[in-house]
Amino acid sequence: MAGADSPSAALRRRDLCARGIRLVGKMRSDVIDLLDTYMERQGLDASANVAAVEGVPPAAVERWDEQTGTQRLLENLAAYRAFRALLAQMLEEQREQLGEADTALGRALAAVLLQVSAFAYHLEELLRLESRSPPSEEGDGPPPQPRLSLFEQKLRGLGVLRELAQWALRSARDLRQLAKPGPGTGSAPSLAESP
Amino acid sequence: DMPIQYERVGADVTMKCGSMDWDAAVTWTVNGTDIDESRLNGSYLILKNVNLTQSGQYSCYEGSSWHLKYQTYLRVGTPPKEPVLMCRSNNYPKGFYCSWHLPTPTYISNSFNISVIHGTKEMVCEKDAVPKNRCHIRYLQLFSTVKYKVTLTVTNALGKNFTTLTFDEFAIVKPDPPESVVAKPVPNNPRRLEVSWQNPSSWPDPESFPLKFFLRYRPLILDQWQHVELSDGTSHTITDAYAGKEYIIQVAAKDNDIGTWSDWSVAVHATPWTEEPKHLTTEAQITETTSASTSSFMAPPTTKICDKGAMVGSGAVAVCWTAGLVVAAYSVLFI
Repeated sequence: MAGADSPSAALRRRDLCARGIRLVGKMRSDVIDLLDTYMERQGLDASANVAAVEGVPPAAVERWDEQTGTQRLLENLAAYRAFRALLAQMLEEQREQLGEADTALGRALAAVLLQVSAFAYHLEELLRLESRSPPSEEGDGPPPQPRLSLFEQKLRGLGVLRELAQWALRSARDLRQLAKPGPGTGSAPSLAESP
Repeated sequence: DMPIQYERVGADVTMKCGSMDWDAAVTWTVNGTDIDESRLNGSYLILKNVNLTQSGQYSCYEGSSWHLKYQTYLRVGTPPKEPVLMCRSNNYPKGFYCSWHLPTPTYISNSFNISVIHGTKEMVCEKDAVPKNRCHIRYLQLFSTVKYKVTLTVTNALGKNFTTLTFDEFAIVKPDPPESVVAKPVPNNPRRLEVSWQNPSSWPDPESFPLKFFLRYRPLILDQWQHVELSDGTSHTITDAYAGKEYIIQVAAKDNDIGTWSDWSVAVHATPWTEEPKHLTTEAQITETTSASTSSFMAPPTTKICDKGAMVGSGAVAVCWTAGLVVAAYSVLFI
């Protein structure tokens, strides 16, 4: 297998990053539309303040510019794997609540879930390119949660979608950092200091 | 050090002449000028409904000895109204700045205190030397969904007031306008203008945080702008300019994903390339399209609208009838 810094690997990385950026851009746009639908269907207000929801990976990060390429990929992968499980759970709750499998909201959730899975796979590809095998998935999803009330479920769903929208923003930036030519992604890329 | 006495506009002010008795004979002056006795109540100076012009140095002298018994500086002003605060990030993702001002002056000195809270964390907003009334803060976290809360308190000797702003990290992102906008005609292309610009120098990392652009242009003689949105690149060729007309062109920038559009850049002017007038011969008069020197459509000189067989008229004013029709039609449009 070509070394992580070989010209062909660099080309493949740039190509994967470019496609990943497009994927995640479309995903973000869909998540934002889904947020509107979700709030409307669940009777929630845009001002609903959702504190950090347990089990939802926060997109917020300190010293973002100092992260190595591998760190970025690993954190992204862990996050999207978590979102995959969370969205599957939301879809299940949705079906329980409404009894029908095929509502507009359900379809929109399923579409986003598909994109999240696709992006997770994309990240695994990028990790393989860094000569890192992706970490195995721990367990089968989020740890068993105490049964939430219907309202708590709705708020939790809002928190999941909002955080996913933030992650989609961050992932695009992460991939652009990754795609920058220069020293191998193992070393820390840093923002040029502006005057 | 002379004491300063602060009073609100419209207040009634009574000044005592130090430790002098009420019935002592005194003289009051303001900025060295004697004050009329009608203003006095005994040895007290009464100023009713004070206004700004009454600010000044007030002195009280004992009647006969002319000893200075009391002196004060009166400053008339108002307590602060609610300040106007705005916060903006023009250098995302490095940080943001907040700037403020008072909607109406207080006429006395004010001090400002700003606090920035992110979740439970208190952050320090470092005051800028220039301009005053501005401070900047570095982002410690990026991609946070937790809102920032900025509170500005303004205090002076007559009162205090405050205002609060709450916002998301990405909502206040607004780049500076693009720089070095240049518009040039394109040789041999009478309907084209080549526009180029640069990212604003305050935007620290255009590679990871690319900007998209909005171009607007119009001929000076028209009010309607044409718009083009460009998702990448820092140049664009306008291909539908009206020949020979001077254009005004501006560009704005926005982060690709978040925030709002910048203000419009400085406007640049440019006129598309026009052919130099040929030295006229009879041959040239016939084949050249009619070009009125006033504002009418001018076909590209290389295009032949008609051949000699379709000429009408004779001599110096020969016009081919198809050209005449075209010109007439366009002249109507452009009146």
